[in-house]
Amino acid sequence: MASENNAGPMRVLVTGGSGMMGKAIEHVVLKEDGRLEGEEWFFISSKEANLVDLVQTRAVFEKYRPTHVIHLAAKVGGLYLHMRENLHFLRDNLRINDNVLQTAHEMGVTKVVSCLSSCIFPDKTTYPIDETMVHNGPPHDSNFGYSHAKRMIDIQNRAYFAQYGHRYTSVIPANVFGPHDNFSVEHAHVMSALINKTYLAKRDGTPMTVCGTGTPRRQFTYSLDLGRLIIWVLREYNEIDPIILSVGEKEECSLREAAEMIAEAQDFKGQILFDTTLSDGQLKKTVTNAKLRSYLPDFTFTPLKEALKMTCDWFAENYDTART
Amino acid sequence: MGSENNAGPMRVLVTGGSGLIGKTIEHVVLKEDRRLEGEEWFFISSKEADLVDLVQTRAVFEKYRPTHVIHLAAKVGGLYLHMRENLHFLRDNLRINDNVLQTAHEMGVTKVVSCLSSCIFPDKTTYPIDETMIHNGPPHDSNFGYSYAKRMIDIQNRAYFQQYGHRYTSVIPSNVFGPHDNFNIENGHVLSALMHKTYKAKKNGTPLNVWGSGAPQRQFIYSLDMGRLIIWALREYNEIDPIILTVGEEDEVTIKDAVEMIAESLEFKGQILFDTTMSDGQMKKTASNAKLRRYLPNFPFTPLKEAIKMTCDWFVANYDTART
Repeated sequence: MASENNAGPMRVLVTGGSGMMGKAIEHVVLKEDGRLEGEEWFFISSKEANLVDLVQTRAVFEKYRPTHVIHLAAKVGGLYLHMRENLHFLRDNLRINDNVLQTAHEMGVTKVVSCLSSCIFPDKTTYPIDETMVHNGPPHDSNFGYSHAKRMIDIQNRAYFAQYGHRYTSVIPANVFGPHDNFSVEHAHVMSALINKTYLAKRDGTPMTVCGTGTPRRQFTYSLDLGRLIIWVLREYNEIDPIILSVGEKEECSLREAAEMIAEAQDFKGQILFDTTLSDGQLKKTVTNAKLRSYLPDFTFTPLKEALKMTCDWFAENYDTART
Repeated sequence: MGSENNAGPMRVLVTGGSGLIGKTIEHVVLKEDRRLEGEEWFFISSKEADLVDLVQTRAVFEKYRPTHVIHLAAKVGGLYLHMRENLHFLRDNLRINDNVLQTAHEMGVTKVVSCLSSCIFPDKTTYPIDETMIHNGPPHDSNFGYSYAKRMIDIQNRAYFQQYGHRYTSVIPSNVFGPHDNFNIENGHVLSALMHKTYKAKKNGTPLNVWGSGAPQRQFIYSLDMGRLIIWALREYNEIDPIILTVGEEDEVTIKDAVEMIAESLEFKGQILFDTTMSDGQMKKTASNAKLRRYLPNFPFTPLKEAIKMTCDWFVANYDTART
């Protein structure tokens, strides 16, 4: 088994590389000079390897021989898809994560940074939520399958550390949005679905209908900021315990406010309606970024309005090729 | 896929059939006339199929074509083994459970009763513990790998019910003991290990050395009672949520009490020493059997002293073939 003191430049494998965060990291590495001398970065997607399959997982690790892994790949969806298919989200994600972590172990990978999600925290909780609370109660029922599979990553990390001393860790983003997201109105994360809906409503001259009441509150973090932070975690964050990557509590806003900002960014002047017959999901998920701030007190997040404008502009320019 | 209205007598597959609880169920079914007309019961062990391997799992299901499954098979051990190998206990048990439940689903099994354990409950908790509390916090650190894998069974059951309507459920025994247990001093459960130690101390004329302080409290349930209750759960218990199978809170004893009962049963008259440098594990795990009592208000548990005597007698008579 290869030494874990992998001296020399990193070879970084990014799973889920074609997704929103993978694309953001790729942008930071290639366009913002985020790459150090001699480093190699490989971005793979499900087209290249289906990580639910162990054989394909091994093959892709053997092809790239990474020293480090940023593990973003998962089966994901929006609220309504999860509510219908918790079993599939549970099983597929458990399988993906076990394949990636075990293969990393067997091939002497120095460090793996996996991606959890703020939606996996306990549903009944005090606020703000922090990193110590991941396992303190059942997650929201709507996506319990996905949530338990994600939580298991933290357990696996602790177990690999206890048994082998591996530094496998994880990050917990709050609601991320940005270019290259899945913008499908049915399946996407809330911000991206709203961006798409607004685009269509403007194009077709119809009202824009928000699912739910618009009252749920979220901290939205721009994907490029997430990308910069995940690269920092890969290089500098040495704990096994997860770290929340999010804007501060003060940046929380309601879905109604988000819808209004999106309308402004796209110059949408039509009606915004709220379909209150549809589920809201969790009303509140306030997380604290105090741990992040203790490491990076001066990190500058892109202001929400600006980030939304850039994302809406990207979406309009790339509508034909975007995932809708 | 077979119909789930499997009319006609049950074909019951018992995984982990050679273990403590499996052997007991076999005894109850065969010797206590608990088998209904036309029923067939199959008891399999790891010799017949390694359930960590999906191919072998499928083969054994195809061989026996069960309508019902009692799923007892797991990688288990005593406190000290778990503390050293959490990763293996996590991964192997996750794999076994996924193989069994998914294969049961694919082959139209009507009902699966899986076996959890009272050690998987949250470490920091109020007492008595009940069935609603399983996911309310992290389990004790000593065997977190095993515990999270077992907890996942409950998540899987809920997911299979939600997505397919399957009635897969689980039982939660407290500390079980009885004939056919693993009596290995290093790896066995506490009562069995103590019986073996006492037997050896008596034979060799040495003191009996008990690990820990003797202060931890436990509810011990005799394997025969467990066997009868699991068969009842298979036939009559229709909830998806787990049910605790244990004696009442009033029957909780300390390890020291149990040691004295064992010494009396084996007529050990030597010194009993407590090695307080060794870990005690959890000090308390008091579980409520109120849910069970609502279903079976009159179920007669075998008195502890009597059950210990019968188990010690069995151990002495079967020393050469017992698992030591």
